Amino acid sequence: MNSHKVISIRNLTPSTYVIRMEKKDFTFRTGQYITLGFSGSIDRREYSIYSAEQDDYLEVLIKEVEDGLLSKRLKKCKPGDELDVDGAFGHFSLKDDEIKSKKFMFISTGTGISPIHSFIHTHPEMDYTLLHGIRHKEEAYESESYDPNRYILCTSGENTGDFNGRVTEYLLKNPVSPDTICYLCGNCHMIYEAYDILEKQGIKLGPIHTEVYF
Amino acid sequence: MKTIAFKTLGCRLNQYETDALASTFQNNNYKLVDFESEADVYVINSCTVTHQSDHKSRNFISQANRRNKDSVLVVTGCMANNAKEELESRDEINYVLENDNKSALFSLVDSHFKGELKHPSQLDKDLFAYGATEKGFHTRSMIKIQDGCDNFCTFCIIPSVRGRAKSRPFQAILDNVKAVINQGAKEVVITGVNIGRYEFETYKFDDLIEAILNLDGDFRLRISSLEPDGFGDKFLGLLSHPKMTPHLHLCLQSGSDEVLLRMRRMYTVKTFRNTVEKVRAIRPDFNFTTDIIIGFPGESEADFTESCDMIKNLEFGHVHAFKYSIRKGTRAERMTDQVLEKTKTERSEILRGIAENSKLNYRSQFIGKIQRVLVESTDGNTAKGYGEHYIPVQFEGENLKKNTFYSILIKDIAAENDGLLLGELV
Repeated sequence: MNSHKVISIRNLTPSTYVIRMEKKDFTFRTGQYITLGFSGSIDRREYSIYSAEQDDYLEVLIKEVEDGLLSKRLKKCKPGDELDVDGAFGHFSLKDDEIKSKKFMFISTGTGISPIHSFIHTHPEMDYTLLHGIRHKEEAYESESYDPNRYILCTSGENTGDFNGRVTEYLLKNPVSPDTICYLCGNCHMIYEAYDILEKQGIKLGPIHTEVYF
Repeated sequence: MKTIAFKTLGCRLNQYETDALASTFQNNNYKLVDFESEADVYVINSCTVTHQSDHKSRNFISQANRRNKDSVLVVTGCMANNAKEELESRDEINYVLENDNKSALFSLVDSHFKGELKHPSQLDKDLFAYGATEKGFHTRSMIKIQDGCDNFCTFCIIPSVRGRAKSRPFQAILDNVKAVINQGAKEVVITGVNIGRYEFETYKFDDLIEAILNLDGDFRLRISSLEPDGFGDKFLGLLSHPKMTPHLHLCLQSGSDEVLLRMRRMYTVKTFRNTVEKVRAIRPDFNFTTDIIIGFPGESEADFTESCDMIKNLEFGHVHAFKYSIRKGTRAERMTDQVLEKTKTERSEILRGIAENSKLNYRSQFIGKIQRVLVESTDGNTAKGYGEHYIPVQFEGENLKKNTFYSILIKDIAAENDGLLLGELV
């Protein structure tokens, strides 16, 4: 476990923010996560890495959890504060031999877009479509950083996105081609439903990758 | 001559480590005695995977202290990592040895008797520096290939107490296997925390298994517990190798996809079932054993029924079912929909009944067939051991010898004795 200085906090909505930390010699594979906590504290939480492999800083996207132990305290961090970073962990990763040759569908809800942001910014040349499911448009975190022709915003709480409804409803109305590699990241129910839909549309088990957010 | 007694809880990896440590002590003029006897040294190789494991470990610590208050009492294993401060505060415990120092146990105890008191932090940290297991508790020779786990399943404390995944060098493993075969081992068991994730330089798990199977010698290879996500078709192909035993302990944990997602397991019910069916298409009597967690947070009646159905449908040879218990520091600790203890107990009874039937059904198919049994214990006339499918077999004869293969015709099954197969020499 190493100590990393906070560089900045970037508020995206009243409850969601990005912590940027110094990277030091930390290495990871895009899609992996870290555990984060205050130096010396045993309380730690897992966060997917938001930044790209080649960035010279390390970022995580965090949503404040009501009654959360850490997310509220992390938001109050000041530049120069020390955080303990452990990792990188996880197997939610792209396969090297597929990145340039395959077509990808990234399906995420809420802050589940974090590892997808890292995928796309690490490999901007990828042939991808990104579905991001949220309730209100303000939760479209840094949507301007994606190619608008590849980004589909699904808003379920209001008709302000590219599609009014859940990502699963979008998938039912817009079947995915069976030769697509799918990565799903978000809450358990979305993953469960989307998985069934994709399977019925002919996507075989192998090319579906999932990461659950709670 | 000093006497030493071990008590091992939990996984095969702990068993292996105890075997290796016990051998080292015996090779250095210590006498191994039963844990129930008075000893100069007691070693509790603990487990912390459930509340029950913690409870058992504490109980054995008290027992050891009662037997000989002047003994050197060492607690090691996963509880030593997870509850270090609590254990260090207990006066009756001389040393608390975390997993990464465990291999240096002999050095610690030997120094103690020479009057040189070492703090465990002064010891070498090496996850793989264990000696051979030839004088341990098991006939089967366990080989550690890996330690730690990076999967971070939401219920599991193991990554916190065993650390990050680390693989033992490829050639060191092959040398170790060759050595135990030369010493007379007839069955080699591959062990670790998450062995399917073995990776050393360019070698993956299936490369290692292939290389071991290609070694010369009259031995058979057994894989211990395996996660369903860490291997591919090459490994499944190796299951047909003549030296490979037709048994895998493949950890299912739940028969519900929703629960598997919340557990952050990296497979689905369908992929698990496909694996079992693919293997049994080639070898219909292949023995799959598994683990099931009962009452994981949010487990509904429907989810539980799906687990029961999986056991019935896949006809596991053995199911290790245990009730979910909160482990501090895991993600599932913070899940709000914890299942009532009473419900977990009721479900346990139901599931254990189904698992028992499944076991007896599965094992009954061997009546009238021949098993190649490696004898683990015998008084010369009655012997007990395991067949290639990892089912216990008992038979009678004359001058029967331990660590010897016998061809046994299975005649009956002792349902009242945990499904023990009864046979006779061919």
